[in-house]
Amino acid sequence: MSTASSGDPLVDLLMASLTRRKATGQVVGGEDAGREAARWMADSGVARAVLASDPVVDGIGLPDALRREGIDVIMWPTGLGKRETMGLEGPIDVCGVTVPALAVAERGTVVLEASEGHGRGLDVTSRHHVALLPADRIVRTLGEALALTFADGRPAPSAVSLVSGPSRSSDIEKIATLGAHGALTEHVVVIR
Amino acid sequence: MSTRKRRGDGGVAYLDVQGTLRERTVDALRDRTLRGNLDAAAASWGEGRDSMRRDYGLDDMRERAREIRRSNIRNLPALLSEMQAKVREAGGTVVRAADGAEACRYITGLAQARGVKVVAKSKSMATEEIKLNEALDDAGIEVVETDLGEWILQLANEHPSHIIAPAVHLNREQVAALFREEAGTDDVPDDREGLVAHARVRLREKFAEAGIGVSGVNLGVASTGTVCVVENEGNARLVTSQPRIHVAVMGMERVVADWDEAAHILEVLPMAAIGQDAANYVNLITGPRRDGEADGPEEFHLVIIDGGRGALRGTEFEEALSCIRCGACLYSCPMWRSVGGQAYGSPYSGPIGAVITPLLEGPSSPASRDLPFMSSLCGACGEACPVGIPLQDLLVRARARSSSPATRTSGMAFRAWSRLWRRPSTYRAWMAGWRLMLRARGKSGWATELPGPGAGWTQVRDMPTRWPPRR
Amino acid sequence: MRTCLSDAVAPSVWKSSKRVLERCGVDVKVPRAQTCCSQPAWTAGHPDQARAVARHTIEVFSGPEEVVVPSGSCAGMVVHAYPEMFKGQPEEEAALDLARRTIELTQFLAKHGLDPGRGSRGPVTMHDSCHMLRVLDESQSPREALAKAGCEVREMQHTDRCCGFGGVFAINFPELSGRLGEEKARAAIGSGAREVVSCDLGCLMHIVGLAHRQGIPLRARHVAEVLDR
Repeated sequence: MSTASSGDPLVDLLMASLTRRKATGQVVGGEDAGREAARWMADSGVARAVLASDPVVDGIGLPDALRREGIDVIMWPTGLGKRETMGLEGPIDVCGVTVPALAVAERGTVVLEASEGHGRGLDVTSRHHVALLPADRIVRTLGEALALTFADGRPAPSAVSLVSGPSRSSDIEKIATLGAHGALTEHVVVIR
Repeated sequence: MSTRKRRGDGGVAYLDVQGTLRERTVDALRDRTLRGNLDAAAASWGEGRDSMRRDYGLDDMRERAREIRRSNIRNLPALLSEMQAKVREAGGTVVRAADGAEACRYITGLAQARGVKVVAKSKSMATEEIKLNEALDDAGIEVVETDLGEWILQLANEHPSHIIAPAVHLNREQVAALFREEAGTDDVPDDREGLVAHARVRLREKFAEAGIGVSGVNLGVASTGTVCVVENEGNARLVTSQPRIHVAVMGMERVVADWDEAAHILEVLPMAAIGQDAANYVNLITGPRRDGEADGPEEFHLVIIDGGRGALRGTEFEEALSCIRCGACLYSCPMWRSVGGQAYGSPYSGPIGAVITPLLEGPSSPASRDLPFMSSLCGACGEACPVGIPLQDLLVRARARSSSPATRTSGMAFRAWSRLWRRPSTYRAWMAGWRLMLRARGKSGWATELPGPGAGWTQVRDMPTRWPPRR
Repeated sequence: MRTCLSDAVAPSVWKSSKRVLERCGVDVKVPRAQTCCSQPAWTAGHPDQARAVARHTIEVFSGPEEVVVPSGSCAGMVVHAYPEMFKGQPEEEAALDLARRTIELTQFLAKHGLDPGRGSRGPVTMHDSCHMLRVLDESQSPREALAKAGCEVREMQHTDRCCGFGGVFAINFPELSGRLGEEKARAAIGSGAREVVSCDLGCLMHIVGLAHRQGIPLRARHVAEVLDR
């Protein structure tokens, strides 16, 4: 994870917040994004990637980059049954790849919207979560993000998920433990 | 699994409560493990809270949060109408349940009509209040709590200790033992990570099987008909995305007008609840899945519960409805920290529980009428409350409303007290008598046994009969 | 205001308060007819009984003078609860007036910049009663007074935690009240001082009564008595 300043204060703030949330992130140019994301997934031992059907995914050439790394690629909607979706059957090391509509720099939050191309459970049914975030989608505060998401005249999405770090549970001896239900990792690729 | 609880007829307090409130506090005080766990939990919360005040300006946010919630309660009927209309517009169904029994009937009926055999639940105080698990259980439907702490409690056959961290009174060894019993095998890890991983797999089976997912609602946003479900684990997301039907249960007072207000409350909530500036997952759900979407429930049902809340509007207890169920007052309360949540005998424990449980149940309800008295009125709760509810004042008002044999006796005593102490001559006479009694009972400046109500004093401490007290 | 607790258990407290004020050149009246601020009945949930006694208190203390109380608890009761108690009642005006004029002893000293001169040297530890801390929002004035008197204060841990007295709570839930009192007594001894001092007699009776029962060697005095030596 790069600690050098990106030159964009919102990006830098987001990176710092992601660290606080125990997520990871990197800032890359569009030409490198597909390769870098695929490499991160390969390094994390990902066997299968479930990708949101979104122009950003194709725009950075991610499906091909993943195949080059030997990672199995499935586009949303997957047609898989519930058990396989949640990792009870099939490979366990699955990565859900999302494309946030927005991100909140102050909190280290990505804002995911459900749609035909973007399942509402993409990030949480899988063991890993990679978010592909165009840098111009970053706002500073939660208030701004919610105002944009639920703007007057814009139909509310069926499900908006604010995700701030990998899943955490603090129920056993009141000490935060990762990964009770949702993804154990979260990696945000900020695309310039 | 449900021998502990039976369905009631609208009460809030648990039906399997044993002994008096005082007896339960005495039992709790004897439990060293409990005390250790509570202290650790409260200390960690306290550090987080201090950080929020120091680094994130929590104190400045409280005033606005208070104003927002008070205005929500003032405008409640209009907000609920709008909420209802918007949910229906989005394709959802809304049910306004007068009480817990009506809510349970609706949800059970829905499950039966759809042929659902398994219900997966994420944590919801409202569903504990209405005893939904018992109702489903009575109808032969399997209910699984998916919040890790709540599942642990379900296995242990116990009630939660705390609104946010329900299993805070259990430790790792106790949890491992429960998991072994549930899985029917000794092959369950001992370490924290291993235990969590084990639970992950067991509960995913249930998500896959469940025909209905039931969640609570932290906040309803009227302007778009959206329910907000806040969590850290991700189980609420699975509960609200995997089963074919989603039922959201919401207390009628948990609604804000618009997203400006919602943003503020959603920021304050994790600060007060867990001492962090964000919870891991905030799920904002508006109706069922849209046409063309490949996951998400096909049906969305919002059950809005009155259960006595509406009747509090316009009374001296109205501010209690501002509560956003963060649990800060519990952690800040010296009483709760000493005895834990289970001693209260209600899903709502701590200072807020001591106020609203008897209010929702009625002043002569045996299970809850003593609750407001189990407080030293220290005021730490009102100080900790992110929406500025003056809980210590509400506790005093709740005491005035309480009706029980004990309060009737004390009422007689205070009538006599009032007659004597409003007149200087009788007051002085009383004082002279009292000082004589003290001298008579004192040995070397201390009395170890006092008569009447004084016995409560000398049960655990001596009374100095001279001042400054003798060594 | 003498306070009923001082009348009942420790007349030296109100007498020391009077002397301390007089040493500062204050003209002090102690109305003989006074009784009680009515807090025991109010917090026990008997507002009508409380009001009857509070009415007498309002009458006794009518006049222009400031009413000085050697108790954060009683002062807090008048300042915070009398307005609520008499809202819509015929005595509302008089109650609000009294609430405006009522002040705890060390707050009075601080407000008027008074210095009673040398008191005990200590060391003592300071217990902040919940009413001082949260109703009157005050922790500075007693420490200021003790510092001016040349008394050394050693702070205990968790000064902001309730001692467990709580009025009727001490009698209704003795075990829980006792546990909190024991923790407070141990914290007090843990400060290194052998004496606990407070602006509130109720807390002190409870803490020192607990300490004596448990064999914890802790002494106690009211802040007025420390300033009076």
